[in-house]
Amino acid sequence: MPTALAALEEAYTRRGAPPAAPTGDRTLVVGYVGADVPVELLTAAGVRAVRLTGDPDSGSAPGDRYLGRGVDPAASSVLTRLLAGSFGGLDRVVVSHDCEASLRLFYALRELRRVEPGTGLPEVYLVDILHLPHRTTALYNRRRIGEFAARLEAWTGRPLDVAGAVAAHDERRRLLAAVAELRRAVPARLTGRQFLAVANAALPVDEHIALLERLLAEAGQLGEHPGRRVFLSGSDHDTPHVYEAVESEGYVIVGEDHSFGELFLREPVGAGGLDALAEHYHHGGPTAHRATVSERAAHAARAVRHCRAELFVAYSRIGDEAPAWDFPAQRAALDIPAVLLERQEYGRADLTALRKEHPCAV
Amino acid sequence: MRSVKTLATAAEAGRHQREWFAGLRRRVAAGEPFALLNADVPHEIFRTMDIPYAVSQWWASLVAAKQRSGHYLELVRRRGYPDYSEQYNSVTLGSAFDPEPEAAPWGGLPKPDIVVGDATGDITRKVFDIWGHEPGVTFYPLESAAENEVPANWWELMPHRWEQAVGPARLDLLTAELDNLVRFLETTTGRRFSESRFRAVMALVNEQEEWNRKTRDLIARTRPAPLGVVDSIPSVMLPQWHRGTEWARDIARRFYEEVRDRVDAGRAACPDERARLMWIGRGLWYDMGFYQRFQEEYGAVFVWSMYLAIAADGYVRYGDDPMRALAARFAAFGDQLYTPPWSGEWYVKEARLHGIDGVVHLVSDDPRGSYFTARALEAAGFPVIEIHADNVDARTFDDEVVKRIAQWLENVVLA
Repeated sequence: MPTALAALEEAYTRRGAPPAAPTGDRTLVVGYVGADVPVELLTAAGVRAVRLTGDPDSGSAPGDRYLGRGVDPAASSVLTRLLAGSFGGLDRVVVSHDCEASLRLFYALRELRRVEPGTGLPEVYLVDILHLPHRTTALYNRRRIGEFAARLEAWTGRPLDVAGAVAAHDERRRLLAAVAELRRAVPARLTGRQFLAVANAALPVDEHIALLERLLAEAGQLGEHPGRRVFLSGSDHDTPHVYEAVESEGYVIVGEDHSFGELFLREPVGAGGLDALAEHYHHGGPTAHRATVSERAAHAARAVRHCRAELFVAYSRIGDEAPAWDFPAQRAALDIPAVLLERQEYGRADLTALRKEHPCAV
Repeated sequence: MRSVKTLATAAEAGRHQREWFAGLRRRVAAGEPFALLNADVPHEIFRTMDIPYAVSQWWASLVAAKQRSGHYLELVRRRGYPDYSEQYNSVTLGSAFDPEPEAAPWGGLPKPDIVVGDATGDITRKVFDIWGHEPGVTFYPLESAAENEVPANWWELMPHRWEQAVGPARLDLLTAELDNLVRFLETTTGRRFSESRFRAVMALVNEQEEWNRKTRDLIARTRPAPLGVVDSIPSVMLPQWHRGTEWARDIARRFYEEVRDRVDAGRAACPDERARLMWIGRGLWYDMGFYQRFQEEYGAVFVWSMYLAIAADGYVRYGDDPMRALAARFAAFGDQLYTPPWSGEWYVKEARLHGIDGVVHLVSDDPRGSYFTARALEAAGFPVIEIHADNVDARTFDDEVVKRIAQWLENVVLA
């Protein structure tokens, strides 16, 4: 039997593909985009859910054509893959308003279905969760969560098991938080690349939980990774390319603040059904796209201390400029060196500034 | 080449703007509160409470017209922020970092006490929030919500059936936010909010925009066009920043009357009009002469910009509940211009109304959705040429654009 880590890394290679289903299984397959889709409700509805990811190594011309310049190329890649059918037979796509690129992707999908029905795109639904820290926004989010739950019930024709789904996802969060402690150990027992794979393995929640439990039981067998400890801030990383590029230079990424990493593991939803879910997603983050520079700086200072990072690397992709706005306040809030890699290409990391200012002895 | 305005109302609006700004500086110097507002937030609240305000994008357009945007973007860069991101707001943010504010155009933008912006996109909230960290400045953010399903014909629904066009979720949200904004302003400025005054302001805005609608319709049906966008933009936009005042309502009427008189007299922007052009995108503030560059050689006249058209279709809201009507004006304002299906369907309607022969589409990185705009227009038979530039950042403008458009006019529009 492979180790749990090997099994999780293997499952990560299948990211963006729906979980396998028995022949004849007619369970609805739902692809989702963005950090603010309440995945607990997808589980509660009993659908087969898959978070849609891009691919920097394949072209994105169709997506670029529809989304234009100025949009995070990760979203263009997702759209390109949707148009190419790369995600298999999706019955629905659910998109959140977690960033401008996701919203633009939603609008493009909605309009393409209207004016170019030949594209064969599935029905698309927007979950409009917002993030100003006010009661007005909380009430709005609760309404939107309720609407989404009702839509899922209409799609599947059966009531949602919200309590059971929330409990399962909270357990997965708890286990992933424990795994994150392994990466925070000195020396780190997991690389950033490995943690990314563990957190984003393409598995149903119950299977994911089982493998995470086994990974924790096998922790004693994990290697040690003594490289210079980096906290990676900024753009989302829906693929391992940038992690691999940074860690190939001798660094080890021990923490990050994007939605595919550790950022969303901090708080459980707990009991309370849709009310608790609405509050959980309202206060999620702080992501580069929805938080203020102060919130991001305060979080960076806490997270860097927590993971004992030695170097802070802010990464801002072309078309995803929010992290570059955060950087001055983050740098001022830190007591470790910080470097900004700005206007980076999707899936690439130009490490010239990093090598020049903060060389890492391999 | 410099633009040449010929309309008396355009000149009057420009004169009034200078006088108003001088008065604004005096009021602020005397200790009155001053608010800086994003274009798409409800100014009517501030008008009702007589809180002096200026519009971030108006100031950026003025700075760009004075060829000073590069200076303010450099100030943004020196603070460590990107100078290539959402320049329309960050140019104005740069004024907060100016060590010599009195050297700015018109004596400089006073330091605001309150800044209000909506959380559109990923950057706008950050820009205004950074401003809010300047000493003595408070940032009041508003949400930017989105809707799943919308009826395409928004311009028909908005005046009276805005509830159907925008949807109750967004309206409930913004109405509540605006109620809270009123209380915030009452508390922080000591000014009172009069409901009867508010109703009067809302009525004045509707009157003003109805005059703009008549002007838009008159220009649309007149051949050759009585004026181009160099005249129509200041005649509609400077009063737009004063909407809710009698002056703004009255100059909107005089704008209509002056255009009507021109039509009656047979005066035209370009008597030898051979092509009616539509400009989609924000104004090219650093080179307004661009819009008149193709008249003499090609008889090509920019008869349409969004500024008069959105005044005609995008602001009018009637209803018994003025706060909800105000929320309906802004809860989906940007969608009218940039989000399909609303944007594309509206541009096609406007192109047909104006008898457009060709569309020049300014595509910036910031306001998106350009593919579907161009697609809708081309599908309806209108030739479209796209140019890529930022409208306040002259560094992004390629001088080859003029040649490209000239060739497009020769080979496509006039062929």
